[in-house]
Amino acid sequence: MEIDRRAFIASLGGPAVVAMMDHEAKAEALEHYMEDKLDEMVAAQQPEKFPTVAEIEAQIETRPFRRGTGSVFTGQRGQNVKIITPMPAKPTLNDFFELRFAPANHVLQSATRAMKTGMSEEIILACLLHDCVLSLIKPDHGWWGAQLFEPYIPEKSAFAIRYHQTLRFYPDEEAGYEYPDQYYRIFGHDYQPPQYIADTYKMLKNHKWYMEPRLVTVNDLYAFDPNAKVSIEPFTDIIGRHFKQPKEGLGYDNSPSAHMWRTLARPDNPL
Amino acid sequence: MIKLLTAGLAVAAVAAAAAQSPAIPGLDITVTKLERAASASLRDCPPGTNTVSAVTKPGEQFALVTVSFKVGPAFKPAPMKRPTVTDAADKSYFTPSQFVDVASMPEYSCTFPFRVPEGTKLKTLKIENASLDLAALDK
Repeated sequence: MEIDRRAFIASLGGPAVVAMMDHEAKAEALEHYMEDKLDEMVAAQQPEKFPTVAEIEAQIETRPFRRGTGSVFTGQRGQNVKIITPMPAKPTLNDFFELRFAPANHVLQSATRAMKTGMSEEIILACLLHDCVLSLIKPDHGWWGAQLFEPYIPEKSAFAIRYHQTLRFYPDEEAGYEYPDQYYRIFGHDYQPPQYIADTYKMLKNHKWYMEPRLVTVNDLYAFDPNAKVSIEPFTDIIGRHFKQPKEGLGYDNSPSAHMWRTLARPDNPL
Repeated sequence: MIKLLTAGLAVAAVAAAAAQSPAIPGLDITVTKLERAASASLRDCPPGTNTVSAVTKPGEQFALVTVSFKVGPAFKPAPMKRPTVTDAADKSYFTPSQFVDVASMPEYSCTFPFRVPEGTKLKTLKIENASLDLAALDK
């Protein structure tokens, strides 16, 4: 077994603590450390047991809300919801990022990766926006997300947002997309996508814009890093160039999705 | 005479190319390990702490190729393509792991997963123009 010396010393409280230990205490600490590491290694070798679709369905009545509820409508981990900051009178996309989509780590990581790997601005924008609608609603989030942003963004970006949901279920090794293990956990290991998703996939495979949503899925996969440091700042220019910010503010411009922005702005309205 | 001279120049050019450092100037690449596994962490290179993994289906396995990189002053950062591996029959396999910020650290190690049919013997790892032998590690 290889021992990471620095990690071992850090686990004891740092070099100062180690310096105060006698030889016997150090030897004992090392033995405990190696036992713990061995347990971790053995656990890592056990194949994870993923739930079935039936087991996931059996959890429905254990929750006070449905899994498809947008995150602005639910409390964190079963807690009560909190008062949210009102939106400005003429809210912008940045306002929604700050006050309704936050912390938005996943979409920011996804767009950061798209930017660093030299993808087009339409794809970077699509990555930045692809899951924002999960604040409002979760089922069919590709279609809802595209609808939310469609009046304001390039057609290719909206296409990428709409169809990334479908392509998430279909691996494409040549493009760099693997089926994620988290889908076995959240849908069940025996899950089969419904017919409309299978039909949409068939349509996309022969579509000239297949790679637009595919690249969103490729970046999606690598954007679950709890230690990544990201911000919206690097995307200011891309938003400026490609997002048509309405002068009345999002929600008040009479666009086909204005009501969706208003719902996000005021999720406590009873009607 | 002209033919001889041309041939001589060609030999010299080949020798010069061989004397140069690898196919990616300023980037020292060494394959250090080749393992097989039923699941693979999906992390870019250099690796972060992304939490998503992929698992194999029956009849498949991941070939995990670990590569160490040393970035020298001659390295010019530019987007790099994902590595590929080839098997004995020259069939190519793809990794989902991408190079992101290659010059962000002077030295690091990355493990690239390749989904292959169980028992596939690998021959070569290709990173841009560099071709690295895997056969010796794939016992």
